[in-house]
Amino acid sequence: MATVFKAAEKAIAKSDGSSKTKDKRANKQRVMLLSSRGVNFRHRHLLTDLEGFLPHSKKDAKLDTKNNLYVLNELAELNNCNNAIFFEVRKRQDLYLWMSKTPNGPSVKFHVQNLHTMDELKMTGNCLKGSRHVLSFDKTFDSAPHWSLLKELLAQVFNVPKGSRRSKPFIDHVLSFSIVDNRIWFRNYQIVEKNQLNTPGCTTLDKGDISLIEIGPRFCLTTIRIFEGSFGGPTVFENPEFVHPNFIRASVRKEKLKKYQDRQKSIETRKVRVKEAEGQESELSDKRVFE
Amino acid sequence: MSPVASRKQLRKSKKAAKVASPVEEVVEPVVEQVEEEEDDIEEVLENDEDEEDEEEFSDDEEDVVVKEQRPLYNDEAALTRLANDLKLKDLPWIETMVVTSSEPTVVADVEDEMARELSFYQQALEAANIARDLVNQAGDAFTRPDDYFAEMLKSDEHMAKVRQRLLDETARLKASADAKRQRNLKKFGKKVQVEKQLERQKQKTDMLDKIKLLKRKRKDGAGGDLTLDNDFDIALENTTDKKRAKTDSSQKGSKKDAPQKGAKRAHKDTKYGMGGKKRHAKSNTAESSGALGGFNKMKGKPIYKAKGKTVGKAKR
Repeated sequence: MATVFKAAEKAIAKSDGSSKTKDKRANKQRVMLLSSRGVNFRHRHLLTDLEGFLPHSKKDAKLDTKNNLYVLNELAELNNCNNAIFFEVRKRQDLYLWMSKTPNGPSVKFHVQNLHTMDELKMTGNCLKGSRHVLSFDKTFDSAPHWSLLKELLAQVFNVPKGSRRSKPFIDHVLSFSIVDNRIWFRNYQIVEKNQLNTPGCTTLDKGDISLIEIGPRFCLTTIRIFEGSFGGPTVFENPEFVHPNFIRASVRKEKLKKYQDRQKSIETRKVRVKEAEGQESELSDKRVFE
Repeated sequence: MSPVASRKQLRKSKKAAKVASPVEEVVEPVVEQVEEEEDDIEEVLENDEDEEDEEEFSDDEEDVVVKEQRPLYNDEAALTRLANDLKLKDLPWIETMVVTSSEPTVVADVEDEMARELSFYQQALEAANIARDLVNQAGDAFTRPDDYFAEMLKSDEHMAKVRQRLLDETARLKASADAKRQRNLKKFGKKVQVEKQLERQKQKTDMLDKIKLLKRKRKDGAGGDLTLDNDFDIALENTTDKKRAKTDSSQKGSKKDAPQKGAKRAHKDTKYGMGGKKRHAKSNTAESSGALGGFNKMKGKPIYKAKGKTVGKAKR
């Protein structure tokens, strides 16, 4: 009897519940959020902010190695995640963001600059924690193959799947990715619709007009390399315009050094010149006269 | 040349360059440790784009020993293959929620923050509008109702801080504007005050003059004219001008003349009046320097005339 009941139940489930399960299976994404040791307060806040608006994410403990990143693949598998975002912090100053599709998908390393977290008081917007967001991509993402790969990657990592456990119903905010100066600029805006409450002079005509308020965080990503494998593998793309922050700092210091070096050099050349000039002894020189 | 040997050479040249030029070699150890396959080398050798590394630090020639000529990775075929493999197929829009802008976001100057943020805002706004239509088509709810309370991304305390900051800013602006206005008013008010004072002074002096006039008239014309109060007033109003008062009084036959200048006053006026002593009073003019001699010591002095007991020479 029990088996007959179970079979009947299965048959019913197959017929009408299939759409639900199909959706879930179709887009099952989970993101693992990690950082290395030596994080700055700003980077820590960014990680918390990301965890806030990615309800399909799982924040994990700090990774103590920066060189053997292949362990991240195993960690992701342990956590049932198929995406990973890893914050690699160097010198407690430079933040590198790794994004990868964990088992064997492509991965990318970014350098994060111009980071402003959500806590800044100038960003006045707010939204539901875990509501699904709209992803807005620049048309420039379709122009080159590496940009289109990045678009796919970002779309899958940042998109909240429909049936995700901690997601909320309404659509509150929009994440925008734009390409300017060969970098990806990230912004997060709250969607506000005009109605009687928030605008005093609202008419039926402009009721429902959307305006955006920035929520934060905001940052700028510079692509460094795209790898074929997850956290490793052959490089498929390398950004020629990337300048290592160490190098920038070194060149700034070198410029200051240059001033001193130039002065020393000029002193030396002057000495040589003076020595050369005083070689000839004429008849009227002091030595000859006062013999 | 076997691929392995060429790879070794590559490594050597890289190491030599590393001494001189610290380019971004941080990633290299990770890559080389993880996978050292033949595919690796193939990728390096068959590049779609061979580009020379730009010499970013050519300003300091002494430090650079070797110029990097490693070809850059840009395997377009692999990139497109990976992108296609990654794509999620057969999903309705509501699952992915990806909106691509209709026009590429172009910013003329990256440093110009207003223009840059504006372009980002416009891109996001367009996406939000498109998304609303698509979401409504898919049958899901888009707008969050005002009475829907749930945990928000930013806590209530944080939002209170934000609101307080905005209020403080508006209050500060208002206060500074008020202070400015008060300062201007004060300046203006001072001007008005001074003017009023002067006017009052003038009125006072006028009044006193009229009263003096009246007193004089009363004294002089007390016997003859019997002026009633009304006439007195009218008479006063007619003689507001001092000059006219003078002529009136002379007409009435008063003994006292208008105050004449005394000789002393006249003398003092010539010396000190109309701007004081004239300059060049003791300088030569054309006539005075032309007049040679003729200097009369006794000019203007009275001839001494003896008075009293002294006798003349004739008598002595």
